Amino acid sequence: MFPGHWTKSFAFGLAALACASTFAYAQKSGGTLNLIVQPEPPTINVGVNRLGPASFIGSKIYEGLISFTPKLEPRPELAESWAISPDGLTYTFNLRRGVTWHDGKPFTSADALFSFQKFLPAVFFRAKLVLSEAESITAPDDYTIVFKLKAPFPGFIQIFEVTGGTIMPAHLYEGVTDYRTAPANQQFIGTGPFKVAEWKRGSYIHLVKNDAYWDKGKPYLNDLYFHVIPDANSRSIAFETGKVDVLRAGDVENFDISRLANEKGVELTEAGWEFLQPIGYLHLNNRRKPFDDVRVRQAVAYAIDRKFIIETIFGGFGREINGPFYSTKLYRDTSVETKYEFNPEKAKKLLDEAGLKPGPGGVRAEIELLPLPYGELWQRQAEYVRDALGAVGIKANIASVDVAGWFQRLTTFNYDIGHNFVYTLSDPAIGINQTYLTVKGDNAGTSGGNVQGYSNAEVDDILIKAAHQNDAESRAKLYSRFQEIVTRDVPLIWTHEMVFPTVFRNKVHNLTLTGLGTNENFADVWIDH
Amino acid sequence: MWSVRLQFLFWRLIKSVVVLLAVVVLNFTVLRLAPGDPALVLAGEQGAADAAFVDQIRADFGLDRSIPEQLGIYIRSLATFDLGLSFREQRPISQIIGERLPATLLLTLTALAVSLLIGIPLGALAARRPHRALDVALTTISTAFFAMPLFWTGLLAIILFSVWLNWLPSYGMVTVGIPAGGLAELLDVLWHLTLPALTLALFYVAIYLRVTRAAVIEVIGSDFVRTARATGLPAARIWRQHILRNALLPVITFASLQAGHLIGGSIIVETVFAWPGIGRLAFDALLQRDYNLLLSIFFASSVIVMVFNLLADSLYAFVDPRIDAGPAPA
Amino acid sequence: MTGLLRSFVRHPSTLLGLAILLGVLAVALGADLIFPGNPFRMVARPNLPPLSPGYLLGTDMLGRDLTAAIVHGSRVTLTIAGFATVIAVVVGTAVGAIAGYYGALIDDAIMGITEFFQAIPSFLFAIVLIAIVAPSRASIIFAIAAVSWPSIARLVRAEVLSLRNRDFVRAAQVGGLSDMRILFGHIMPNAISPLLVGASVVMATSILIESGISFLGLGDRNAVSWGYLIGTGRTAVRMNWWLSAMPGLAIFLTVWSINLVGDGLSTWLDPRTKQRPRP
Repeated sequence: MFPGHWTKSFAFGLAALACASTFAYAQKSGGTLNLIVQPEPPTINVGVNRLGPASFIGSKIYEGLISFTPKLEPRPELAESWAISPDGLTYTFNLRRGVTWHDGKPFTSADALFSFQKFLPAVFFRAKLVLSEAESITAPDDYTIVFKLKAPFPGFIQIFEVTGGTIMPAHLYEGVTDYRTAPANQQFIGTGPFKVAEWKRGSYIHLVKNDAYWDKGKPYLNDLYFHVIPDANSRSIAFETGKVDVLRAGDVENFDISRLANEKGVELTEAGWEFLQPIGYLHLNNRRKPFDDVRVRQAVAYAIDRKFIIETIFGGFGREINGPFYSTKLYRDTSVETKYEFNPEKAKKLLDEAGLKPGPGGVRAEIELLPLPYGELWQRQAEYVRDALGAVGIKANIASVDVAGWFQRLTTFNYDIGHNFVYTLSDPAIGINQTYLTVKGDNAGTSGGNVQGYSNAEVDDILIKAAHQNDAESRAKLYSRFQEIVTRDVPLIWTHEMVFPTVFRNKVHNLTLTGLGTNENFADVWIDH
Repeated sequence: MWSVRLQFLFWRLIKSVVVLLAVVVLNFTVLRLAPGDPALVLAGEQGAADAAFVDQIRADFGLDRSIPEQLGIYIRSLATFDLGLSFREQRPISQIIGERLPATLLLTLTALAVSLLIGIPLGALAARRPHRALDVALTTISTAFFAMPLFWTGLLAIILFSVWLNWLPSYGMVTVGIPAGGLAELLDVLWHLTLPALTLALFYVAIYLRVTRAAVIEVIGSDFVRTARATGLPAARIWRQHILRNALLPVITFASLQAGHLIGGSIIVETVFAWPGIGRLAFDALLQRDYNLLLSIFFASSVIVMVFNLLADSLYAFVDPRIDAGPAPA
Repeated sequence: MTGLLRSFVRHPSTLLGLAILLGVLAVALGADLIFPGNPFRMVARPNLPPLSPGYLLGTDMLGRDLTAAIVHGSRVTLTIAGFATVIAVVVGTAVGAIAGYYGALIDDAIMGITEFFQAIPSFLFAIVLIAIVAPSRASIIFAIAAVSWPSIARLVRAEVLSLRNRDFVRAAQVGGLSDMRILFGHIMPNAISPLLVGASVVMATSILIESGISFLGLGDRNAVSWGYLIGTGRTAVRMNWWLSAMPGLAIFLTVWSINLVGDGLSTWLDPRTKQRPRP
């Protein structure tokens, strides 16, 4: 998967589609799939809200120009084919014909133009950033859209899947100036294989098959029900008693997932997260004592047993990681990494060197720990980290925060150690840069940003250069140097590569077909009934 | 006599409105004092918090005005029953509340009715022979249910009746796929209502059992009952006309106190049973800093309490001739 | 006092309650003796079931001893509930006494305030208060007290109202004693008994409110109470049922015993004996 090959993308597109379509047995049409969405999203309009629950449901209703295979090659969705000029400056997408919106109006390049020129930049910060790399966006005819970039940007193709580049219906927004609060946002009109039948707030969201879907014969399923169940035990019971057929990571505790996976007729898969590439982060506030000293940061890295985190806290679901890149990332270079194995003695020595000698009660420093307020699992991790740090003489107090408080403190550098996890995405320029580029001022902007306040001029230089580096080899060299510096400086600790298991009844097929996993549009999902 | 009662009720109504206003002001102030900017939450959800973005969100929701100004605007819109828009959902709050309130009222009113139907007779029964075996058994058992944390009872009930026995559904208000309207849906809802309502009712039974028991004991020992017995009136008549009628007064008081719990008290049951009610909605609104919505839920709850109190006072004034213009009993 | 003891002994349910309550108090006081040190160290294999060797009630998902946690947790739970009760009783008594004694406008104003608190869903309000001030032992105590005092105020007010027109009060007023002296020296001692019963109800309810708040995840993460234990174990009820069941049992036994003792107290204060004031 090298950028140069993408000029042959047309053939690629077809091949990918063909691979996805060969099955050993015939799909059956019809049937109902029951899933859980938790928590209930405020909206299922992916253009406006792309957090987990909203994109889980919205990805069945809306579509992007492309999707991604598990190997992260682009595959056609609303774009039948595309071409990237050899100099990497021009991206031409040939749009599919005969596609209609759920309200019957035809889909044309006007919709794509509207989405990328007006809608997305107004409501989605990252889209605004990435699209600002484009010098111009034009639609020479009804079924073509062309992006001309200012400089080569290999990561550009990554934003065109449904959550990064949602295609919105232009005809519903005529005359609208404020897209965030537009009433049209409540209408949920997309081009996807399913449309909204009923949203019974607090109970369930019901999607039905779009009979006019452009991929004839699909979707196979007739109905999708997303159940709203606030309590984890009730969710577990719902699966056990057959009320729901699929459980995603986060629906129930990881050890419950293992237990349920052992039941008859139930399968488990770790696939489906190849595009999002989640990594657990432990941010160390570089702008404050004591973590402004690299030795103290390294000490923390030695003090934490990341194997324990994977095995005990995450129930065995997770992979070891020693640097900023996910294992499937192209540019990962483990040979240059500084590795920090679990070694509390080394940690203590480093703390001594940094001048943090043990005081009364053996306490070298007292800090505040900002937990991730997403549930019991993360609370346990915070408690473990508190314990591990205590063992080397750093007394940690866990702060009580809710999501808003956590977000605020993290982004305004108001913490000592903070827990987080981030979807690092497949291209570093899109997923990683914001985490390591120097932030001027007091606000990191987003929880995926440089909330640890790390600042290294060479790293800034490398990241910006690499984002626009079209030549694969040079790019790889740049990123190797990046990993070398960053693992030495350890501005934050990469706790583990997250694995999100999905558990489902084996009558359900093709649940995690693409790199988007359960966030795919489910056109290919079928049930054996 | 009637005009005195009507006057009494009229002044109660005025007082209720004043209290309602106070509730609004207090809650508004309390919530505005809360740390954490609703605009930040929204910005966070939309992927970033660059200053211009956040400022625009604040302007959209009028959060950039001074607090007294915001309060004034809020009260004025409340007067026209315009509850505004929810921060998160961008939908009219009246619509959101309208979707979830009936479910909660169905749950809590059913639980209240069941606990009254069980608690009052059992309490009267226990009071007939205080401290004997039946009384001890009834009080001890009902106290036991009152002592169990609601989520504990709920989870145990689900495990027993749903998972092991498979008699009742484990969560939700409806089975998906059942067509709306008609007998099928009604029966489906009732079937789902059973466990949560019973869990909540078991908790409240203890209260009404004890109150009735105490009131009945007190009345039985009073002079006019002893006189009635001495004059040879049939026992049943004494019970109906004298004992129960007087004992019901404190029960009415307690039941009207219950009104305050009709909405907020169901949070835990709604969480455990995934009952799509307004208690759980309020909790979610709090966590998401959706203050508009939370305020409106407080307001709705206060209105319901006012209504209940007025009803209870009317009932009281009607039932007990001794109450006229004196200070209202506790 | 002997009347009280005799009354207790005659009622087995009260004795049972007293026994359990004393047991709980003993455990709370002796926590450091039974399980010295920090109960939240990770000491064993995670997820051990009850009756595992050395770990009577098993271990939690991080390998911490549940028995030690429950024993130490009793202190936190009882302290939180205790302080909340004391504050609620002090505030409620003061407010109720003044309202009942002075009557008229003062009474109206105060009753308006209590009605106001009645109008707000109390559990929800407590949660909002805690969320605003950020969860901590202090904020939980404050929030619980804030929603509990009205019931005490109402109770005390009713008592004072019924007692203020008695002869012995009239006599004291004629005798020139100050209002405060009459109120707190003569009237209140006669109201102590129902107040005690009311306080026991508030104590029991405080424990339940605290556990409910923790179940919802809003408890203080650094103060490990029974409710907190239930909260952390709540997602694991199907697998590690003991993590929620055991603290739940502890709560149940404590609240039940408090209620039984409170019932015993109110039995002793049979309405007929209540009429005889002790001057």
